[in-house]
Amino acid sequence: MNVLGIETSCDETSVAVISNGQLKVNLISSQDFHIKFGGVVPELSSRAHLQTVTPLMKEALHQAMLELKEIEVIAATAGPGLIGALLVGLTFAKGLCYSLDKTFIPVNHIEGHIFSGFLMEDKPQYPYLCLVVSGGHSLLLIVEDDLRIKKLGGTIDDAAGEAFDKAAKMMGLGYPGGPNIQMYAEKGNPDAIKFPIAQLKNKYDYSFSGLKTALLRFIQKEYEGKVPESDLPDLAASFQKTISDTLTTNVIKALNEYKVKSISVVGGVAANRYIQNAFHEIAESRNLKLVIPDQQYCGDNAAMIAYRGMLLHLNKKKYNLGFNAFPSISEGMFSDG
Amino acid sequence: MKTIEEFISENEEQTRDFAASCISIFKPGDIVELSGNLGAGKTFFVKSFCELKNIPNANSPSFAIVNEYAGKEKIYHFDFYRIKKNEELIEIGFYDYINDESAITFIEWGDLFEELLPLSRYVIKFGLLDNTKRKISLLKYE
Repeated sequence: MNVLGIETSCDETSVAVISNGQLKVNLISSQDFHIKFGGVVPELSSRAHLQTVTPLMKEALHQAMLELKEIEVIAATAGPGLIGALLVGLTFAKGLCYSLDKTFIPVNHIEGHIFSGFLMEDKPQYPYLCLVVSGGHSLLLIVEDDLRIKKLGGTIDDAAGEAFDKAAKMMGLGYPGGPNIQMYAEKGNPDAIKFPIAQLKNKYDYSFSGLKTALLRFIQKEYEGKVPESDLPDLAASFQKTISDTLTTNVIKALNEYKVKSISVVGGVAANRYIQNAFHEIAESRNLKLVIPDQQYCGDNAAMIAYRGMLLHLNKKKYNLGFNAFPSISEGMFSDG
Repeated sequence: MKTIEEFISENEEQTRDFAASCISIFKPGDIVELSGNLGAGKTFFVKSFCELKNIPNANSPSFAIVNEYAGKEKIYHFDFYRIKKNEELIEIGFYDYINDESAITFIEWGDLFEELLPLSRYVIKFGLLDNTKRKISLLKYE
């Protein structure tokens, strides 16, 4: 079975092909488009998706050595994301399915991330605890099987990746925030400064807004707003440790309450080495398998959308072309369990 | 431009009180710009306002650019923080959102692309006075 995946939920246009369960190609506009086709891709626009999606699909099919008629299932991100951006990929997929009589599968972007560990050779085993940490999302979930996902908690304000970006800005480090903080943190002492970890009503929820304010106040009080180069390593290391501790604290609580076989940490923040090490320690001490996808599957990508689409199709899920794009996750979207 | 309210907040509870005082002011169709530095309390204000409207899931739209909340009244929650040029906002349908008469639109970092905002709007300015105190000013531009 050949599956085409299309992702246009936010900044990136991405197209991927999975053949008989094997990922053949995963093209991402910011990395692949301008190299191949020239021209500048704007950071954020529905028109950019519109201009990119067709040539990117053609190139993906070419690299997979397939023709469009050999594709059976077309999976596209339906939400959450920017409605104008989502509509480009979703409507494109619907059009192809309608005119070529293919099976259409709308995919929840978050579910794409949740199952992205399966793109790795060493896959998660059900049931697994999944931590989704990216620029826009921070969620903790139990994945029972292909279809049953139960949300334990999520962020009540800022996402973990956003906290990294904003902290980097406060410290005077440029974009991208996460990698810059990681770089400085590697030379610093993570125990130099104590920052607070929020205690919340739902013990599995996350909050990073208080940490942001604490960092801001610290920088104002100690340095009157401008952190000297010499103090950046300790500050970055302490901040990074606080984020990591916040994430692991809830994971440990969940592991004490739920019996799982694996842990999977997915999304852009999963690329952080300090956080990866923290999770390796937890997994090792509890004899659990840990799956962190490679960096190319941590950011937004169509490989995970194609994989999730394939999984839904194999589970005999049916969708009609009237399925609409949705901008946000509704309460109870991950309440099966 | 006229000042409607000036408020000193020393903690989250008091910022929530300020949000409560805004419930009777903001109506569907209104645009509310929020300005103030990182950590000044912009997202917390919108979150508090939404909670008072029985919308429990409001969070930061910095990455998403806009969050949509469906309560009794619709709320659009924008953040211009990572926008680089105003074409990006126009491309994602910014005018469709702000011309939706059935929704209240909040815009964090609205001052970054002030030229796109309608003249007639509310502006809430968040200033840090010292380590704990915040000055919150509610203004009406016409």
